[in-house]
Amino acid sequence: MGTRILAVEDDERIREAVKLALEDEGWSVEGAASGEEAVELFHRQVPDVVLIDIMLPGIDGFELCRTLRKSSDVPIVMVTARNDTHDVVAGLEAGADDYLTKPFAPKELSARIRALLRRIRPTQPGHERLVFGDLELIPEEGTVLRGGQPVHLTRTEFRLLCELAENRGKVFSREELLDRVWGYDYFGDGRLVDVHIRRLRTKVEIDAAAPRHVVTVRGLGYRLQS
Amino acid sequence: MSDGAADDAGPAPSPSLVRRLLRRSRLSPVGLRRRILLTFGLGALMLSTFLAFTTYGLVRSNLLSQRDTASLRAAYRNAQVVQSALRGEPTTPASATAQLQQLGVQRSLIRYQGQWSAGIGRFGPEALPPTLVQRVTDDEVPARMITSVGNEPVVVVGIPLPELGSYFEFFSLDEDERTLANVALSLLLAAVITTALGILLGMFAARRAVRPVADVASAAKALAGGDLETRLPTTDDPDLDVLVTSFNDMAATLQRRVERDARFASDVSHELRSPLMTLSASVEVMEARRADLPERAQSALDLLASDVSRFQGLVEDLLEISRFDAGAIRLNLEDLPVADFVRHAIAVSATPNTPVSATRRAEVAMISGDRRRLARVVANLVDNSRAYGGGEPTVTIADANLPDEPVSHVQIAFEDDGPGVPTEERALIFERFARGGSAGRRAGSEGAGLGLALVDEHVRMHGGRVWVEDRLDGRPGARFVIELPSWEPAVSTPGIGQEDLVP
Repeated sequence: MGTRILAVEDDERIREAVKLALEDEGWSVEGAASGEEAVELFHRQVPDVVLIDIMLPGIDGFELCRTLRKSSDVPIVMVTARNDTHDVVAGLEAGADDYLTKPFAPKELSARIRALLRRIRPTQPGHERLVFGDLELIPEEGTVLRGGQPVHLTRTEFRLLCELAENRGKVFSREELLDRVWGYDYFGDGRLVDVHIRRLRTKVEIDAAAPRHVVTVRGLGYRLQS
Repeated sequence: MSDGAADDAGPAPSPSLVRRLLRRSRLSPVGLRRRILLTFGLGALMLSTFLAFTTYGLVRSNLLSQRDTASLRAAYRNAQVVQSALRGEPTTPASATAQLQQLGVQRSLIRYQGQWSAGIGRFGPEALPPTLVQRVTDDEVPARMITSVGNEPVVVVGIPLPELGSYFEFFSLDEDERTLANVALSLLLAAVITTALGILLGMFAARRAVRPVADVASAAKALAGGDLETRLPTTDDPDLDVLVTSFNDMAATLQRRVERDARFASDVSHELRSPLMTLSASVEVMEARRADLPERAQSALDLLASDVSRFQGLVEDLLEISRFDAGAIRLNLEDLPVADFVRHAIAVSATPNTPVSATRRAEVAMISGDRRRLARVVANLVDNSRAYGGGEPTVTIADANLPDEPVSHVQIAFEDDGPGVPTEERALIFERFARGGSAGRRAGSEGAGLGLALVDEHVRMHGGRVWVEDRLDGRPGARFVIELPSWEPAVSTPGIGQEDLVP
C-alpha cells in the first residue's frame, strides 16, 4: 500500500501543482480546500502525512491541527506565510511536526515528508526497554509508560525521546537533535526542538515547569536523566 | 531663465529662500536664547537703576524737608527764648547763651547790638555765610542755608530779633548724610540683586522658550531616524499648540505614507508567492520528465526553471527587505563560534568547496548572531563574487584587534578576482537595486540588486558593518569585509556553541 498524503490548501492551483509534484514521488495525494473538508476526508481514510496551509477559510490551520491531534498522531507539516511572526511557534504548539515557508520548492517539501515518514518507522531496534526513574520506554512497541501508565506521544515526540534515551546521560545540542530527529542540516530552525521539548515535558513530566527527566543544560543542549 | 524668475517658481523652498534665511541669520547672529537672556538682563538693570535713582531722590528730598522743618521750628523756639532773655532784664548775650545751653542748644550765635556772641569751636561768626548774615541782619527776614563747617554739612538758620539783633543756629546734617549713604548703598545692592535675578529669570525663560524648539528638534531627529511613532505631547499653550498640531499632522502623514509604501512592497511580494508556488511545482514536474521533451522544449524548460528560481529568490529578498522596512525583524540570536559557522554557511552555499581560513584567535572567537540570516549574508557575498568577481571568492576570518588586546571584533573577508569596485561606487553598491555606474559590466543575469542591500541591513542589525575595498595583496579584485562584534570564549567550554536554550 502506497503512502497517502492529505494536502489542505485553499488555492486550487497550488493544490494541483503540489499534488502533481508529490505524485511524482510515488505517493498518492488527496486535496482538501478547507478545514471542514479535510476533517471529513481524514476520518474516511487516515493518511500517512497531512500538509496544512495555515491561512484557510473557515476553521484555520491551527484549529484544524488541534482537531486532528485530538484523535491522531499523524505527522503534520504546516505551511506558513512567513517565518518571522509567531505563526511558526503557534503552529508547532498546535501540534505540527515540521513547517515550511511559502514559497517553497516541492523538492524541499518531499524531503520533509520523507524525513517524517522515516520517523514513523524507528530505524534501529536496539534496546528492548529503557528505564529512567518512573519513565519507561519500549522502542519496539513505540510506547512510553510513566509510573506504569501509558503516555500518549506523537511520533516525532517519541522519536525525540528515543534519541535522548539511547545515549544515556549524553547532552544533545539543538543541531544534533535537528539532524537526528528532523534530518535538518546546521541551518535548521532551533524552535522546532524547543517547542517539541516543551510539548514532551507536558506529557512525561509531573511538573513541566520543573522538569526532572528532560532537562536543559544551559549553553549546551538537552539531556534525559532518571 | 533669470535667477529671479526661478526664485518665484513654486512653493518648494527655492535656493533663494534658503539664501534669504541665511542672510537674515547672518544679520542677527545672536541666538534666541541669548537674545532672551540679554533682554531680561538689560531690562532688569534699567528698571532697577531707575527705581534706585527715583527712590534715592525721594528719600533725600523727604529727609531734607523734614530736617528743614524741624530746624526752623527749633530755631524759632530758641530765638524766642533768646528774645525774651534779652528783653526781660538787662542782660548780656552770654547769659542768653547760657540759658540756651541749659536747653541743650550748643551751636548758636547771637548778634546783639552789633556784637557777636562767641560761639563754640568752629561754629563762630566766621563760619556763617555772609549772604545769609546780610539777609537776616540787613533785610531782617528769616533765612536758612546749607553749608559746611569743617567737613561737616550743616544747615544754618538765621532769625532776626526785632530791635535786638539776630539769632543764628547750626543744625548738623551729618546723620542725614549717613542715612542717605546707607540708603544709596542698599539701593545699589538691590539693583545688583535685581539685575542678577533678571538674568536668572532670563535664563529660565530662555530655556522655557527654547524647550519646545528643542523638543521639536529631537522629535524630528527621531522621526528621521526611523521612529515613525514619534509625536510631540499635546500642550495647553495656544502659541505652541499650532506648532505641535502641525508637527504631529506632518508626522502622521509621513508615517501613513511610509507604511503604505512598505505595505505595498510587502503585499506585492505576498501576492507573488502563490503563483510562484504553482510555477515552481509545475516546473519541477516538467523537469522530472525532461528527457521526454524535444530538444527545443528542453532549452525552454531550462530557461524557465532558472528564471523561476531567480524570481523566487527575488521575492524572498523583497519580503525580507519589506520586513526590515516594517521593523518586523526579530533576530533569533545565538552564540556561535564564527569560524565553524562560516564553514557551515559556505558548505550550503553555491560554492561549497570554497576554502575558508582563519587566524588562530578567530578560530575560537564567538559571535552573537541569527544563524540563518547570517548564512544568507555569507551566501549573498559568495553569489556576488560569482556574479561579478570572476568566480568563487577566497574567504578569510581574522580578529580585528591588536595581538595584545582582547578580541572585540572579527572580520570575515571575501576576496575575488574580478575588476574590483571603483572608489566612487563603493557606498552605492549597498543600495537597493543599485548596480553601480558600470552597469553594463555588473548587470549580469544574477544581478537581482537586493543581495548587497540585504547584507548591509543584516550586518547592521547584528551591530556590525560591511564595506568593500581593494584586495590587500594589490592584485585587481574586490574585497568585501563584514565586521561583527566578537569575543573570546572562556577556556572551560572550548569549541562548543553556547546556544541560549529556552527550557
